[in-house]
Amino acid sequence: MIRLDHITKTFPDAVRPAVDQVSFHVNKGNICILVGPSGCGKTTILRMINRLEEPDGGDVLVDGRNVREMDPSALRRTIGYVIQQIGLLPHRTIEQNVALVPELLKWPRGKIRERTMDLLAMVGLEPGEVGHKYPHQLSGGQMQRVGVARALAADPPIMLMDEPFGAVDPIVRVRLQDEFLRLQQTVKKTICFVTHDINEAIKMGDFLVILKQGRLVQTGSPLEILTRPADDFVLSLLGDDRGVKILDLTRSESLMTPTDTLPEGLCGNGCRVQTVQPVKIALEMMMKNNADQIGVWRGDEIVGRLSWNDIKTHVNRVSG
Amino acid sequence: MNFPGFILDNTALVFEYTINHISLVVTVLLFSLALWITAGLLVSCYDRLSGAVIGLGSIVFCIPSISLFGFFMTVPGLGLGRRTAVLVLVIYAMMPLVRSVVMGIRSVDKAVVDAGRGMGMKPLQILFKIQVPMAWPAVFAGIRVTVVLITGIATMATFIGERNLGRLIHQGITRGDADMIIAGAVVVSLIALLLDYIMGRIEKKITSPGLRFQSGGGAGG
Repeated sequence: MIRLDHITKTFPDAVRPAVDQVSFHVNKGNICILVGPSGCGKTTILRMINRLEEPDGGDVLVDGRNVREMDPSALRRTIGYVIQQIGLLPHRTIEQNVALVPELLKWPRGKIRERTMDLLAMVGLEPGEVGHKYPHQLSGGQMQRVGVARALAADPPIMLMDEPFGAVDPIVRVRLQDEFLRLQQTVKKTICFVTHDINEAIKMGDFLVILKQGRLVQTGSPLEILTRPADDFVLSLLGDDRGVKILDLTRSESLMTPTDTLPEGLCGNGCRVQTVQPVKIALEMMMKNNADQIGVWRGDEIVGRLSWNDIKTHVNRVSG
Repeated sequence: MNFPGFILDNTALVFEYTINHISLVVTVLLFSLALWITAGLLVSCYDRLSGAVIGLGSIVFCIPSISLFGFFMTVPGLGLGRRTAVLVLVIYAMMPLVRSVVMGIRSVDKAVVDAGRGMGMKPLQILFKIQVPMAWPAVFAGIRVTVVLITGIATMATFIGERNLGRLIHQGITRGDADMIIAGAVVVSLIALLLDYIMGRIEKKITSPGLRFQSGGGAGG
């Protein structure tokens, strides 16, 4: 869907390139996260996809077409764009803000209105209540939702998001992340997402691109990167709780020992996890119930057991 | 002090001067707005050019008005009268107007412009749908300063043959008639206040309620 081929960009007066020979591709319907410390070139890469910046070398292909050959404005109207500062137009109402791209595309009025109302509801806002308000009358979290709704307005297949949840407090951020992941289940956009927060990257991403000083360091799924970090830089980026993070991404069924009978010594009915729940939850249950092992269930049926030792061995093996 | 008495004794004259004064100011305002707001928009896209134009405006602004009136009067084809008066006052209006447009456009939040570009707006759409509407409060501040300024300087045009309220002040000075001077000054001030008030109403109509919080309207809702 999006393919970057050896793109390079040096800003005027800069000593080293902001982006240096970076190549990766994003599959359709995936969330690709560009992550790295500030100044690693992640925002610049994002902005080269919709031609807000032009690369000095290399190509960007969207849907097989080189963006260089497309009209920048027309290209951008087919790509949703969300930024940390949100950038809502302060002189327009929320409704008018969301309607911006459909207006540029000259949709009929009735259709624009209908779409705007649907979108506000979709991002969890009350269309009748906030539609006629102005941006300064909204809270940070509400504005960020409007930003997402605006980017989705013309139903673009691709979304570019630059630290979209960076400006809100941690509690609202978690809620926005969860809601966005749920939304993505239905809209299935191809998303490029920039963040400096590795936890956000692991939580949101199907695919991670780790960058350092304009160079690509490692790519892979969150679990691949957690279990096989390429170098010390990635290791330090992941933090000291890499093992716990791995357990958060590992399903209980993948570590359990299969069984169809309830073994002895298992605690009562409260002490069970479902096969698809992360091992972290199983661990939490064990600690709460002071148990050494736990039953793994698929619906109402027991399918296996998971012990403290299984988990310890696993963490030791993958992150040791 | 009996300036109301002076006005009542000379109603026809004061009325004539007042009408002349207002018509001169309004004419100047129409020309200035059309000319300098367009110019401001054109140069605002170019940082260096806008700096140069504002610099030029500031220099012109520093020339004493009486000498500027006098100088243009001597230019062939201009001479005494309305044409010269309008020309000089339009030149004076350049600095506050061009400056307020350029500053207004420049003060627009970069993130908003960036979001506009990112959504596929073309440069002209960004100018007229984002930058101009957002610059209105600053532009109107400039327009209101200009109105008051022009109304005041217009009194000087009496020296090149304008029959306006400046004449009351000028003749009051030569005759040592305080009432006459005050009568002229008070009416000029009232005109300035009135025009400023009208501009304020228009500003309220044109500026989006979404921008009002910036000029101290308080965040509602």
